[in-house]
Amino acid sequence: MATQQSTIPSVSIQDLTVSYSTVYGRVRALNSVSLDIQRGESISIVGESGCGKSTLGHSIVRLLAPNAKYDSGKIELEGKDVIKMKGHELSRMRGLDAFMIFQDPLNSLNPVKRVDIQLLEALRTRYKMEGKPFVEEEAYKEAEDKLTDVRMPDPEKIMTRYPHQLSGGQIQRVVISMGLLMRPKLLIADEPTSALDVTIQAQVLMLLRELQRTYRMSIIFITHDINVAYAVSDRMIVMYAGEVVESNPSEQLVRNALHPYAQALIKSVPRTTKKEGRLTAIAGSPPNMLHPPAGCRFHPRCPYVMDICKVKSPPPVKMEGGAVVRCFLHGGTDS
Amino acid sequence: MVSNIGFFLARRAINAVITILFLVLIIFILVHIILPSPIALARLYANNPHATPEYIQQVINRYGLAAPIWTQFYNYVVQLLHGNLGTDTITGNPVSTVLINYLPVTLELVIIGQVAGVLVGLYTGGIAASNRNRAPDYGVKAIYLSTWGAPPFLVAVIFQLIFAYWLNLLPSSLVVDPTLPIPAFVTGAPIIDGLIAGNWAYMYSSIQHILLPAATIGIVGFGLVTRLTRASMIDALDKDYVKLAFMKGLSKRKVVWGTAFRNALIPIITLIALIFAFSVGGAVVIEDVFDYHGMGWFTVQAIYNLDYPAIVAFTILVGLSVIAANLAADLLYAAADPRVRLT
Amino acid sequence: MGLGSIFDNMRRKPIRAAKSGTAVDLGASATTLEGGQAGEVSAGLRFYFLYLRKDRAALVGVAMITVFLGWALIEGILQQVTALTGNKFYELMLVPANPNTLDFNHVLVAPTLNNFPAYLFGTNYLGQSILARMMYAAPHDALASLVVVGSAILIGMLLGTTAGYFGGWLDEGLMRLTDAFLSIPGIVLAIAIATLVGGGFTSLLYALMVVWWPTYARFFRGQALSLRDKAYVEASKLSGAGSGRILLKHIFPNSIDPIVAYATLDLGTVILTYSVLAFLGIGLTIGYPEWGAEASVGLSYFPYQWWPTIIPGVIIAAVVVAFTLVGDRLQDLIVGRLTY
Repeated sequence: MATQQSTIPSVSIQDLTVSYSTVYGRVRALNSVSLDIQRGESISIVGESGCGKSTLGHSIVRLLAPNAKYDSGKIELEGKDVIKMKGHELSRMRGLDAFMIFQDPLNSLNPVKRVDIQLLEALRTRYKMEGKPFVEEEAYKEAEDKLTDVRMPDPEKIMTRYPHQLSGGQIQRVVISMGLLMRPKLLIADEPTSALDVTIQAQVLMLLRELQRTYRMSIIFITHDINVAYAVSDRMIVMYAGEVVESNPSEQLVRNALHPYAQALIKSVPRTTKKEGRLTAIAGSPPNMLHPPAGCRFHPRCPYVMDICKVKSPPPVKMEGGAVVRCFLHGGTDS
Repeated sequence: MVSNIGFFLARRAINAVITILFLVLIIFILVHIILPSPIALARLYANNPHATPEYIQQVINRYGLAAPIWTQFYNYVVQLLHGNLGTDTITGNPVSTVLINYLPVTLELVIIGQVAGVLVGLYTGGIAASNRNRAPDYGVKAIYLSTWGAPPFLVAVIFQLIFAYWLNLLPSSLVVDPTLPIPAFVTGAPIIDGLIAGNWAYMYSSIQHILLPAATIGIVGFGLVTRLTRASMIDALDKDYVKLAFMKGLSKRKVVWGTAFRNALIPIITLIALIFAFSVGGAVVIEDVFDYHGMGWFTVQAIYNLDYPAIVAFTILVGLSVIAANLAADLLYAAADPRVRLT
Repeated sequence: MGLGSIFDNMRRKPIRAAKSGTAVDLGASATTLEGGQAGEVSAGLRFYFLYLRKDRAALVGVAMITVFLGWALIEGILQQVTALTGNKFYELMLVPANPNTLDFNHVLVAPTLNNFPAYLFGTNYLGQSILARMMYAAPHDALASLVVVGSAILIGMLLGTTAGYFGGWLDEGLMRLTDAFLSIPGIVLAIAIATLVGGGFTSLLYALMVVWWPTYARFFRGQALSLRDKAYVEASKLSGAGSGRILLKHIFPNSIDPIVAYATLDLGTVILTYSVLAFLGIGLTIGYPEWGAEASVGLSYFPYQWWPTIIPGVIIAAVVVAFTLVGDRLQDLIVGRLTY
């Protein structure tokens, strides 16, 4: 994790462990996760379903379900301890510091309120938190302008519509513009394009990338699709079974992934040439989160498994070029 | 943009009419299945187990019970449309005149009780859902379980015990102090008539007498509403737009009551008719225990006296009012949910 | 366990798990955690027990239901034996006192620990032990709830599933019919039918069965509607299976699971309705102290002697609450509102 001496990271997660209480017992969704994100950086968290990436995103903004618990660790957003926040401070953090967009456009917006009402609601809250007076006309204009910024055709018409009258892509744009209106320092996108058409997907991704540069936000992009991750982010974080197994700048990861799981992910992307035409799947089945494998959680499926992997959990090891990996192949056997 | 709320309501109204027809048909068929022969029917109307065969024949002739079933049904529907629900076998008066006196009393009671129960239930359900699995949730759960499970006569009796006998705060029975002069008949509902006539003593007494029975009816519905609201709120609180509301920086109170609750109300509206039906069912027993002279009380007397036309008429009336409640609920639903109103 | 295997055969059914909760697949050894993931949750008796175990209130409910049904079963069988042999000994064997003998020396005795357990709930205006009378009348309530709900499920399944599957006029007809039925509160319609028919316990049961089936018919219709478009039904059709076979193999078995919770709740509701009807004097049998009827009779001595009317009411409430505790918890699970 490259840390610039002069600036504090936008997000700093240290040794975070989060567990859910379920009918069957306690499930550890996140196990000692550590992660730093610099201001203006765009990273993506990649992994298969159930690896904990969505939980990680939700835990940063305290949107976890009632049955979840922060067992240990620390989350600092803009230098402030998130886990200890309460009441007004918590609302303030959620309002001004971060914003989150979600996967399924169908339920993203309040179905019973018009788009303009919902956007104005966001502005009203921000003005109040910043101590500015709320002037309706001014706010209305600002909202409409933002809709234009997200490349929404006919913003005036969209303002007067209800969410069920909009398409999936339109809804995502409205949500993104709502986020921009809040001027967050961090934007978390939880699989924002998985439910959209491929063409719309590309548009939304491009939009996000552009906005990130313009507004200098940090973006956390959560996805299971490694192609999308590569396209939108500077750095990729690979998660498996609740742990961060590799953190690497995108170019480096794609060309030379360090962790066997990351390697398998890259290899499993279908290519078009006949020579490499065979589909490679990752051997084995997803891990049982109630009783995860001992030692390295990936070891039952790892082609390079060693004896130590079955017993000890590999610690994070810093590599060249700013990569960090948790794998005994690359070191850590002495700790 | 044309709102199709008009079409929506028209469709619903037509449905309601068809349902009413079906309702009458079902009751008619049920009666005739249970009592297939004219003689059996006549015994019903004669209300006299020792009636002579000649008397039975007279009854058959008088009510046209020997005619083919289609004719009877046709006559019955025609009579219904004219507001003739049959003749009360005890007093000999048309059932409709008898019921006119009692129906508004019961409606007043049920509506007041139901509104109170629903409002409180909505609130407690919301509290329970937003404090899931913590103390308020358990508290609310305990309350609605005991109120739902207790039979209406038990609740009524306990209320009487506490408020009328022990604390001596409220009267234990009747609709109004019988020594007071009665105001002119406008709606038939005691409180409203008292209000219109400016007869404050009467109105005040009616209010005193309605509190306990209304509270009992409210309790009957309160449990159900709380459970439904809690469930609906939990569903709503799970949705992404609630998380989005948090991300806008809104306080928990605003998100719970402004966003989630507003959405949770929608499915509950569709159940209002169900809740209403439930309350009416309980009203029969409650009026009996409180000696509250409404339609339910009258029906209980009818049961004891085997006054069948009255019982059948009561059933049809209740069915009609539930259908009306359904229509009202449909209206509310269209108003509350823009997805229904607009294309 | 025999009963369990019936449910185990219906295992592989997706039950939507709450977005905020977790979905756990019992069949495989995999567990998915993602918020927003619809999980595969296997139904099955074992699963329900596991789930109920977590909620202490529901466990209390299960215990109370077991006591109630167990006792009702035993006493019910004994009453049948008495009916067959004519010897009253059997049905009175396990009851603390004779529920029907008059004892004018002990009229309206308040609940007391003397003469335990006969006077635990006191005596009524005829000196009869209220506890004995309650225990004696239990089988009717249990029988009523099981028979009514069971028949409602059967009738509802037959009518609703076929209507939903075949659609068209059959469906429309059923909808109108159930609409009409459902616009009359159950109690009111049961009153009407029961008084018209006259008679006692069995007539009341018939009346309740007529009243109860429409809700289930609507439910099964809904299930059939959503199931008939499923892939495996299409596949069956393609491989030449007739409608009957499809209904039997795919639609019926997959419809049942979600109603388990509702049916449990309903068992309580039937008992509630039944007791209200008994209160009004409907469906009574001479010499059989129905719970509701006892409460009604006790009303004459209220409020000075509160126990003859309040105790039966409390007992009814306890039984209904027990069913509600269990049914509520199951309902949360099945609808996907997993609680923890």
